[in-house]
Amino acid sequence: MKYLYWSLIIFLSFFLQGRISVLGISPDLTALLAYYAGIKYRETKGLLLGAVIGALEDSISLSILGPNMLSKGIIGFSSSVFITGGFFRWTPLLGIIFISLLTLIDKSVVFLSRSLFDNMPATFSTALFVSLMQALLNAPAGLFIRPKHAE
Amino acid sequence: MPKKNILLFVLLVIISFVLMTFQSRKGHLPINNLLHNLLNNTHKATKSLSDSVTRPFERMALNEEDNIKLQKRIDDLLMEREKYQEALIENKRLKELLRLRESSSSYITSAKVIARGVDYWTNTLIIDKGLKDGVEKDMSAITPKGLAGKVISVSDSYSQLLLISDINFSVTVRVQETRKEGVISGTGTRKCVLKYIPYEEEIKTGDIVITSGLDSLFPPGIQVGYVSKVDNKGAGGHFQYIEVVPFQDDKKIEEVIIVR
Repeated sequence: MKYLYWSLIIFLSFFLQGRISVLGISPDLTALLAYYAGIKYRETKGLLLGAVIGALEDSISLSILGPNMLSKGIIGFSSSVFITGGFFRWTPLLGIIFISLLTLIDKSVVFLSRSLFDNMPATFSTALFVSLMQALLNAPAGLFIRPKHAE
Repeated sequence: MPKKNILLFVLLVIISFVLMTFQSRKGHLPINNLLHNLLNNTHKATKSLSDSVTRPFERMALNEEDNIKLQKRIDDLLMEREKYQEALIENKRLKELLRLRESSSSYITSAKVIARGVDYWTNTLIIDKGLKDGVEKDMSAITPKGLAGKVISVSDSYSQLLLISDINFSVTVRVQETRKEGVISGTGTRKCVLKYIPYEEEIKTGDIVITSGLDSLFPPGIQVGYVSKVDNKGAGGHFQYIEVVPFQDDKKIEEVIIVR
């Protein structure tokens, strides 16, 4: 049941990413999923689930396999270490800041990996604009995705 | 933190780098299109669903046309007519598309845009025609306004278009008036750059740029855009720096025609 739930939710996030946009930019729903996976299932599962989500995203983006796998794995892992692992005490503000920061890291990893190992996917200024917009669009989710122990 | 988790993290980094290095040397790994097709089918289904929900209302609105004619004296006629504007615009667009289809000798098929590509970085669109309809990789996508992009991947029923504004898009072109050849490349924004035009050539703002066909990818004579800025004071290195605005705004593409 759990696998079905995750398959459905991953598929839905891919689907919605192609349909929703603000100023031509879609929110990075898969980064949110990896963040959620890390917070819900701790480091190991968060990292693995993040990597799987990223690998699937790579496979449908018709680019090389690896950049999203790495970046989403990093999100799944670090959200668990820093938020659930007791490194920081979760507050709504921390949630917003952390999710924006992780989205920026995700975008930077993908941009750099693709530029190094494949074609540069966008100009630097476009990449910066897309990254900042997505970090902004993802930020409110930081209020709602919270660890179990948060008040 | 347990050592196992750190090891796992390092392993992920190593696997990713090995995968990316391998692909940068040997080319992209063959990827199963199953998820891609499933996603495109869902996009198509939701588009049909939303169309089928809105269409009856549009038809109902169209059936009222006779009544509206009888109420010509009513002051708010113009406001009522606004309801039909969308249908009229669509009608006009489809007529232009039909005219283009009839005039294009290398016509393959016409297609509807069903979604934007999943990848945020690239400017791509998904269309509802694929191998079954005769679409092949590297075919050109045009609209009544001009060049829209090219096909970069095809599955049985869907294709993905790389739009003219993407930074990995290039097309050989000719300035219509002076017949000078150059290459247009996308910049990731609305404007493209016309490259390799030497300083001796006189290019004016407003000059129209068309495809030259010299790249053997795009048919010659398709309108691409107009020159919006010319900098011949050395900003472009050995060549002039020329900006071109494509006639077709990629945010407004709803249907395209695929040509060989």
